[in-house]
Amino acid sequence: MAAIVLIVAIAIVVIGYQAYAAKMDKEVIQANPKKATPATLYNDGVDFMPASGSVLFGYQFKSIAALGPIVGPIVAVQWGWLPTFLWLMLGVFFIGWVQDYASAMMAMRNDGLTMGGLAYKFISPRARGILLAFLYFYLLLIMGAFGAVVAGLLAIPVVPVGLFILTLAGVLAGQMTYRWKMDLVMTTVITVLIALIGIWLGTMPWAKNLVNSINSLAGTGPKHILYNTPYGPMTWPQFFWGIVALAFCYLGSVLAIWRFAQPVNYVSFWFVALGLLGSILGVFVAAIFKTTNVAFQIPAYVTWNQPKLGWLWPILFVTVSCGAISGWHSLVSTAGTARQLEKETDALPVGAGAMFTEAILATMALIFAATALTKGNTVLYDANHMYFLKVKAGAIWAYGMSRFLSWIPGISPSMGAAIGAIFLAVMALTVMQLVLRFMRVASAELVGDKIPAFKNPHVGTIVAILFTFLILWTAFWQRIWVLFGGANQLFAGLALLLITIWLANEGKKHGWVFWPMVFMYVTTVTALLVTAWKSFRHMMTANISAAFAFGDLVAGVIALFLALAAVILAYDGFKSLAKARAKAASHAGN
Amino acid sequence: MTEEEKRSFFSKIVRNLQDVIYGMASHDMARQALKTRGSMEHLFILITMGDLLGVPILPPYYSLRLLPYVVPQISTWKRRMLRERDLTDALA
Repeated sequence: MAAIVLIVAIAIVVIGYQAYAAKMDKEVIQANPKKATPATLYNDGVDFMPASGSVLFGYQFKSIAALGPIVGPIVAVQWGWLPTFLWLMLGVFFIGWVQDYASAMMAMRNDGLTMGGLAYKFISPRARGILLAFLYFYLLLIMGAFGAVVAGLLAIPVVPVGLFILTLAGVLAGQMTYRWKMDLVMTTVITVLIALIGIWLGTMPWAKNLVNSINSLAGTGPKHILYNTPYGPMTWPQFFWGIVALAFCYLGSVLAIWRFAQPVNYVSFWFVALGLLGSILGVFVAAIFKTTNVAFQIPAYVTWNQPKLGWLWPILFVTVSCGAISGWHSLVSTAGTARQLEKETDALPVGAGAMFTEAILATMALIFAATALTKGNTVLYDANHMYFLKVKAGAIWAYGMSRFLSWIPGISPSMGAAIGAIFLAVMALTVMQLVLRFMRVASAELVGDKIPAFKNPHVGTIVAILFTFLILWTAFWQRIWVLFGGANQLFAGLALLLITIWLANEGKKHGWVFWPMVFMYVTTVTALLVTAWKSFRHMMTANISAAFAFGDLVAGVIALFLALAAVILAYDGFKSLAKARAKAASHAGN
Repeated sequence: MTEEEKRSFFSKIVRNLQDVIYGMASHDMARQALKTRGSMEHLFILITMGDLLGVPILPPYYSLRLLPYVVPQISTWKRRMLRERDLTDALA
């Protein structure tokens, strides 16, 4: 079944790209390879710089693929694998690629403006301000949602030692490349080997004992529970490893990029790429040689109303997150890719191609989740209680990789799990470092004049980390994930709104962007309002712990703020759209 | 397909694959390094040639002495300094 699902996904992706995306590119957008792009017009060797389509495809894919396409389907299969798969495929076919590709084209045809500048130009000055405030909360939710996943991964005994040595190998790579000016191939071979040995060392009994002893510092069994929430306990390992994850991000945020963030990401990349390739091949190997179970254990359809999360619509649509569509991609497409595209015709393979490829990654996560209900004696999804996810989402991915990599000689289940967990942790930490760096810049820009302390990079970073801790330690993670997904998909709706206005201004056909935008807007605003209502209702529950009540309050307020900001932006946006349509009609009349 | 066409076809595939791997693994790293260098250079030009943008920092005598070395970069520097930007620029 797994191989069939993967083949169907690949077929849909190919048809979507060749039939739909290519048609829109040719007939509506009319990408012209002879037209000068901002990269060639304003080539300053810094922000604007032409690069080949193949390089940019790799850059775009690496920038957009993080935890969203992996964790989203793992959480969403609680409603059943079929609705999750359908939304992944329909979402990417009709909406996902549209946003990624068209936002790059929009930025390219508007002098390389980023989302803030485009909102200012096409909607109003107020829209830009609201968009930036929206963005800060959106990024905070990324920190909370991803941080909890990383904390869960680090609590797995085979992970921390390997990740620590991989980090050291990354720092060494930076030193070898930038200070010692060594050959990149030599640097890569040495540091990747060190990291590989580190991951192997992490699976040794002494390393596992070390991590286990840290995990039981506050006691074992019920003693390591710090406090209870209505959804489950906050455990010492989750608490402690959350601090470690954010300390890692702190270094990535305040140290020079070449010193820490970039070389660590570079060394990690090889594990991510090879792990992914090995897993995709592993699905087919498993289907043919039965190396692991590939039959789906979770039913195609479980329920409409998942008791802990909510209704299939709208909550599943925001839970799946980046595999179908993601607002993050529009930020990458406008601020990064659009300023480097050498030819307009490269936007299709780069923007749409990378999005379609990400949908395949999300399908892999769906397969990993749907094919295992238990791991030994550990229940992963509880078949007796609506297939409720019983472990951290990251553990499902790590277990999946350990199963689907087992066909490679020398990869033991323990080693496979370590590679899978480090794969996911690295993907999350890469984005978290970037987000924290951005939040630091944002706070300096927004309040630095009134509170000069925020201009100090350490203060801005620490404040953002404290906000993240508030979410990590007080909130119900799956609700934070839904909130993150809501903000993420809503940001995509905002990008689609901007694209619609741009196309209307140009007098081009825009229904193919307008209706997905309406769908995304209605779905995500409803999801946010439902989440706010649930959070406030739980806050009023009798005998609730203070920490969790506070978490509910934070989640509810953020959800309400995001929904309100989106409604104001929609109001301003629709006024601009009406003007653009009127202008286009008068031009047509003349 | 002739032998030469076959060779060119496969070499194109290999080159594209190399580019994709470079894009995933190193392009961002190279871009950040260039950004850092570019920002330092532009800061230096601002200190020495600030007059061009109405920011008088260095006495004109020294600016004129340095001018020949800075001329090739002045147009891109001015465009970068005066370009409207906001927070979303910091993301990529």
